[in-house]
Amino acid sequence: MTDNTMHLTTDEIELWAQGLLPAARAIHLADCSLCRVEAERERKVILELVQLPKFAPNAGFADRVMAQVKVHAPSGDWTA
Amino acid sequence: MFSLLYRMVRDRALAEDLAQETFVKVLNGIKSYRPEFKFSSWIFKIANNAAIDHLRRKSIDTLSLDGAPSAETPEQMRATSLQLGDRAESPLAEVENRELGTAIERAIGRLRPEYRSCILLRHVEGYSYEEIADTLDLPLGTVKTYIHRARNELRVYLEDRRD
Repeated sequence: MTDNTMHLTTDEIELWAQGLLPAARAIHLADCSLCRVEAERERKVILELVQLPKFAPNAGFADRVMAQVKVHAPSGDWTA
Repeated sequence: MFSLLYRMVRDRALAEDLAQETFVKVLNGIKSYRPEFKFSSWIFKIANNAAIDHLRRKSIDTLSLDGAPSAETPEQMRATSLQLGDRAESPLAEVENRELGTAIERAIGRLRPEYRSCILLRHVEGYSYEEIADTLDLPLGTVKTYIHRARNELRVYLEDRRD
């Protein structure tokens, strides 16, 4: 059992940012201004990271890949 | 996977080359895939290794502003010196500046490559700590340390920028 006077660990702060912090630890967070400041700073960074866009390669990328892949001829008559 | 490579090497054309290399390796080496391993993790592992190998080679090959160490004459020094203005003027560099020019992207670009892989897999790709450890062949504790340090460095960089 966790001592509820202990400050939140970085793992717990990440859980809180994901809405997964156990209720008992959330009580500490509500009462501790140090942890609230730390958690809020961490949440801002996590939020910026999860909102990053996904990038895609330029058109024709799949064709360029497939042109380099060895296609093995089927052994035997698999249509039979 | 392309996003990870692009953010690792911060060069669109190079990221495409490495992505192509990764897919060719995956498709040609499909028989070596072990099903107990998550397929996407296997692809990320190959991609990340390609990026890290490239970054290591690049750090070895890095030229000084005054030219390669082997350059002995003024002509050789000029020929091998780093031309800072070259890439900034190309259309591709403009795209890269637009895509990777935000404060958070620049901050990610300043992280050590090992921290960068971990933080991108965790928060951009949504991998768990255990999946990252499997993908990158790192102990779980190391993954946690890298992610915490990376977030801390990002935070400091972003807060300094706001001040």
